[in-house]
Amino acid sequence: MGTNNYRAHVHILPEDDADRELANGFILGVLPAYSRAIQVLPPAGGWIKLLDEFRSFHMLGMRTFPLRQVVLLIDFDDDLNRVSWIKRSIPEDLSGRVFVLGALGEPEDLRKDFGPDYESIGQRLAEDCRDGTSPIWNHPQLRHNLCELDRLRQYVRPLLFP
Amino acid sequence: MGRNGSGKSTVGLALEVFQQLARGTNRVRQLVKPEDFTAGRVQSPIRFELEIELDAKIYEYSVAFELPFGFRELRVFEERLIVDGRPLYTREAAKVHLFRAGQEKEANFSVDWHLIALPIIQEQSKKDPLYIFKNYLRQMVILQPIPSLMDGNSDDVTLQPSKDVKDFGNWFSGLLAEYPAAYGKIDEYLKQVMPDLKDIKNPLVGSDSRSLEVQFEDGPRTLKLPFSALSWGEKCFMVSALVVASNSAYGPLLCFWDEPDNHLAIDEVGHFVMALRQAFQSEGQFIATSHNPEAIQRFSDQNTFVLSRNNHFEPTVVRPLSELHVNGDLVGSLVSGDLLSSLARGDAGYGHK
Repeated sequence: MGTNNYRAHVHILPEDDADRELANGFILGVLPAYSRAIQVLPPAGGWIKLLDEFRSFHMLGMRTFPLRQVVLLIDFDDDLNRVSWIKRSIPEDLSGRVFVLGALGEPEDLRKDFGPDYESIGQRLAEDCRDGTSPIWNHPQLRHNLCELDRLRQYVRPLLFP
Repeated sequence: MGRNGSGKSTVGLALEVFQQLARGTNRVRQLVKPEDFTAGRVQSPIRFELEIELDAKIYEYSVAFELPFGFRELRVFEERLIVDGRPLYTREAAKVHLFRAGQEKEANFSVDWHLIALPIIQEQSKKDPLYIFKNYLRQMVILQPIPSLMDGNSDDVTLQPSKDVKDFGNWFSGLLAEYPAAYGKIDEYLKQVMPDLKDIKNPLVGSDSRSLEVQFEDGPRTLKLPFSALSWGEKCFMVSALVVASNSAYGPLLCFWDEPDNHLAIDEVGHFVMALRQAFQSEGQFIATSHNPEAIQRFSDQNTFVLSRNNHFEPTVVRPLSELHVNGDLVGSLVSGDLLSSLARGDAGYGHK
C-alpha cells in the first residue's frame, strides 16, 4: 500500500533532480516505520513548471485530502522575492498546508560545504528536523527558510519523528 | 539502469558465480560454459573479480578461466585471494600457493585444473578471513522472484533462497528456526504495506511439511488465506520483508534484486525501494536494476550506474550517472530515450560532465 491519503501525510514537489535527491536523503533519515507518510513526487523541471503543476493538479488533491501537506522544494536563484510571489499564488484555503523551502542560490554550494552528495545533506536535514537543531538550516544557503521550517516542524515532527 | 540487453541482469549472473562457488560448487563447468565467452572470443580468458570491504578489511578475489584449443570444458587459468594487500593464496593453473600468517607454514599443492580452489581450501575458524569472505559470498541474496512459483509450502529449511524464490516457504522456515526474533521485523515491515495483516502462521500439513497461512483482520472480521492466494505484488512484499529481516538477523548481506519494481502498484514502487535502501543503510549492500522511473528516482546520481553497449559484439560500458550530463531531467531523458541511446552510440551529447 502506498501512502495512506486519509491520514496526515506530506508530499514533496521538487523543482529538479538535485532537490529530489535532497528529499530522498531526508526520507533516508526517517525511521522506516514512519517514512510511508512522506512521498517525493517527480521533479517538475523548473519552479514555474512546478507552480503550474501545483495549480493544475495538486490543489485539487489537497482539497480532496485535507490531511495532506505539500512542500514545494525550489531553488531561489538568489531571489528571495520568489517566495512571496509563489505564496501569493496559493489560495488562502490551502496556504496553511503549503510550505516553500529551498536553497538561496545553487544547491551545489551546499554540497561543497556539507557534501559529499545531496542525499547525505538531506539526511542531515532530517536529523536537524528530528533533533530540533539547526546547524545545516543555519547555513547561508538555507537560513532564509527558518520561519517556514518552524511552521513545517509543527506538522512534520509528530508525523515523522514522534 | 540501461536498455534491454545492456548487461544489467548479467551483473546478477556474475554475482551468482561467486555465490555458487562459495556454497560449494567447485567444478568449473557447473559455473561457466564455453557459450559464456562474449561473441565466441574463446582466445581471451573469462575473468571474475570482486573487491569487498568487510570489517574494515579489503578482500580482493579474482578467478580467470580459459578454454584451451580442442577442449570442451573451461579450466582455471589463475586464481587469488588478497586481504588488505596480503595474499591468502595465489594460483596459476593447477599450482596453488597458500600463504599463512603467524607460525603456520606456507604450503604448495596442486588442484585439478577443472576445480576452483576457494571452496576446497579449509578455513581454520570463524575468525579466519577465508571463512569471513566465503560466508559473505554464500549469504548473498540474488533475487529475480517469480511469484507464480512461490506457493509458501516447505519441506526443508534454508537461509540461501533460490533466485526465483520458489523456495520461499523453506526460507521463511529457515529464518525463523535460526532467528525466531526475525518474525518481529517481518511483521513490522508487512504491517506497513498491508495494515490489515494480523499474522503469518506456518502449520504442519504433513509429517515433514509446512504451508504458510496469512491472516488478515478488520475489526471483528478475520480472513485466513493460503500464501499461494496472495497477489504477485503481495508476494513481493513478503520477499522484501524476508530480505530486510535477514539483513538485520545475520547480515551484513549483499542483496542484488533484478527489477524490484516488477508486479508493484505505481504508488508503491518508491516506498518499496526506499524501505530496502533504509534497511541496508547501516550495514550490507543493496543493488537493484530497473527500467522504472519511480524506482530509478529513488536513487541519486552518485549511486546510479548506467550500462550501455553499442551492439551484441561489443562489451558493456558502465558509467556512474554523476559523470554524465543529464540536463536536470533524468526521467525526461529516459522516456525520450536520449540518454541511453546516445550512450550506446557513444555520442558526445550526453558525454562526461
